[in-house]
Amino acid sequence: MGNEPPQQGIKYIESTVHLPYDYVAGDYKARYLRALKDKKILGSKCSKTGKVFVPPIVNSPESFAPATEFVELPDRGVITTFCVVNIPVIGRNLEIPYVAASVALDGAAISIFAAIQECKLEDVRMGMRVEAVWKPDGERHGDYEDIQYFRPTGEPDAPQESYINRL
Amino acid sequence: MKNLRNVAVVGFAQQPVVSRDEHRTTHEMLYPTVRQALADCGVDRDAIEYQVAGSTDYMDGRPFGFVMALDVMGSWPPRQDLHLEMDAAFAAYYAWVRLQTGECDTAMVVGYGKTSEGDPNRILNLQLDPYYQAPIGLDPTSTAALQASAYMARTGITDSDLAAVAARNRAAGARNPDSQVREATTAAELQKTPWAVEPLRTGYLPPVGESATCLILAAEGKAEKMCDRPVWIHGVDHRAEMQTLGARDLSRSASTQLAAEKALAMAGMRRANEADVAELLTPTPSEELIVCEALGLAPLGLAPLGLAPEGSRPAINPSGGALCAHPIMMTGLIRLGEVFRQLSGRAGARAVPNARRGIAHVTQGHCLQHNMVWVLGSERRWS
Repeated sequence: MGNEPPQQGIKYIESTVHLPYDYVAGDYKARYLRALKDKKILGSKCSKTGKVFVPPIVNSPESFAPATEFVELPDRGVITTFCVVNIPVIGRNLEIPYVAASVALDGAAISIFAAIQECKLEDVRMGMRVEAVWKPDGERHGDYEDIQYFRPTGEPDAPQESYINRL
Repeated sequence: MKNLRNVAVVGFAQQPVVSRDEHRTTHEMLYPTVRQALADCGVDRDAIEYQVAGSTDYMDGRPFGFVMALDVMGSWPPRQDLHLEMDAAFAAYYAWVRLQTGECDTAMVVGYGKTSEGDPNRILNLQLDPYYQAPIGLDPTSTAALQASAYMARTGITDSDLAAVAARNRAAGARNPDSQVREATTAAELQKTPWAVEPLRTGYLPPVGESATCLILAAEGKAEKMCDRPVWIHGVDHRAEMQTLGARDLSRSASTQLAAEKALAMAGMRRANEADVAELLTPTPSEELIVCEALGLAPLGLAPLGLAPEGSRPAINPSGGALCAHPIMMTGLIRLGEVFRQLSGRAGARAVPNARRGIAHVTQGHCLQHNMVWVLGSERRWS
């Protein structure tokens, strides 16, 4: 055996990384998810500014103050920004193209992400009023899919100044 | 040596180390810790000019998971921020360097990670090379056992010596309310525990633990206003060795030895045993003995100070050390925090009387690959 590399080269070494995780939901997320089962959306209120965050978080990232008070939010709000998705998205079983939107629920300081259905793509616009479409009773498990999507309510559009700071 | 800027540890907070916090995510554990450290310093978040975090995204299971910590660190208006994929004690080093440049006067250092959510042995196996070492399935316990064998062969240390070191740490840990293992036990009991990886017994190893930590640093001028007894950094150095385990003498820690020489010289000290307290990031008794030897706390090859009688100086691991609480990525920062507590009169039942100078040792990687030594004192170093 000399110093020459082997004639039949070993080109690759297979190395499979398998790392299982078991995440703690935490009391905040657990309360939020449990409430979805009852068709309730919970947020937490900043003790300094009164802003409401949904899903609830332990503190305001902006003011650094704790957000310990839980508040219930309506399941309707306004589209603040949106995009039209033409590529399949990992983990989502939606027909493409579809609209992914930021929805600011009434009373919330920040928006949540949601699919918009039951309307034409070209009709979706910023300021459009939308409401949650829930899974039927008995089929909600306390997870993010309990809200299937949002759809237009038919109400007049919200004025831009009502959501411009909640983009 | 040239005069450096006097920088002090002025605050430290941690969550008591537990096997698993079922109620909080890693960031939810960190938020009250940061608040506590700031409150102890009597300052608002805006008083802190620079922030550095130490954690590993492999523990989070999320690439760039560290960015989520910004939400609980008070990062608005936008802050100067840095993250290290290392024990947070190395983040403290970066903050200290930054403070030396004069670009900031205050800095916050955080370490966090929910060790219970992942599998630390699998994760730390991936630190090894993917060709020869990782596929064998080596984990930190088995590499520490390799090192223990090498050390025992060179020095003649026996199983009962390892048990004695572990028992001393366990006795100390019982006095530390933040420790995870808080039951004292005897060397004889520990020697009855089964082999984890021979020559290491289960009784010589720390359990998996998690916490959240926050340390505040401030330069002279501000430090005195933030803490009644600032603990000044007198010296610090860190050195890394080769990654290939077979390429170095596992029975010794050359990097600890060199880092200690440099840090002690910076501190104006001749020997490590001029310190009153030493907190070492040594999760196993054999690592503690190797580090003690490298620090010069025992003549090479002779009975190490790790086995010295109670009351010897420096007191080694009065907190119970990593053997009683080892939240990965922050065990090193806790060593710094413990020396701060000892030198600032905050050590409660585990206080070392009249402690004025202390050493914090930190390691990262398998078999003590990378080591850092801090020297701290209750007086300013430079005038």
